[in-house]
Amino acid sequence: MKALCGYNVALNPIQQTDLEMIRQWRNSPAVSQFMLSQEDISTEQQQAWFNKLQRDNTQQHWLICYKQQPIGCANIKACYQGQQLSNAQAIEVGLYIADERYRGNIVAFAPTLLVNDYCFEELATKQLLAVVKNSNQAALNYNEKLGYKVQQRGELLKLTLTAKDYQQATVTIKQFLSR
Amino acid sequence: MTSTQTLYQAFATGLGVDLAQVSDELAYNSIPQWDSTAHMILIAELENQFDVMLDTDDIIDMSSVAKAKEILAKHDVQFA
Repeated sequence: MKALCGYNVALNPIQQTDLEMIRQWRNSPAVSQFMLSQEDISTEQQQAWFNKLQRDNTQQHWLICYKQQPIGCANIKACYQGQQLSNAQAIEVGLYIADERYRGNIVAFAPTLLVNDYCFEELATKQLLAVVKNSNQAALNYNEKLGYKVQQRGELLKLTLTAKDYQQATVTIKQFLSR
Repeated sequence: MTSTQTLYQAFATGLGVDLAQVSDELAYNSIPQWDSTAHMILIAELENQFDVMLDTDDIIDMSSVAKAKEILAKHDVQFA
């Protein structure tokens, strides 16, 4: 698992010692309301999820740190069955900011810029995918500012992003987060 | 024009709102106009008006008009 650093944030691979904090974030209504499942996650489920991650090369999960403090989580998953991250043609990106001080803040773009750069430049994926509940207007706006385009509407919105659209959409925000 | 008036005008221009809406209490995400895109336009307007270059931490921390005064004060802008 690779750590990523840039745009004033660090993405550290999730460690055993992070699990309880992440479980509490994930179970909090502020975060879970935008997840596909609102079911409470037990400590046993969380541990089983983490154990599976250790031998799973189709996904990667990070703890987002700003000023050395954890503020949320980010993840990527290969979209198509049988593909690993290293050869995925499309990758789904997920993120939440648990620290309310930074929710909706410009710093919330930083982890996504890091992840997207990693996917397009190092993993050489062709397309990124984001899935957003149609009630989550903030996430839709957020993704559109990154260059995503809505491909499918319904209870869940499916958005896709090409490297070209991403580069064009993020010139200014990268400048502000790279000083 | 005082520094506070210049600051308020920069917020009104940057966020595209009436000057009357701007006060020290105006905060990020408290009005629909002040979203992340407007935030970047606002930063550019403040840098232009006060001839300063803000660092990324200041850009992230600029969560209200009052906070903007604190940050600009570090750049030797004086507010009465």
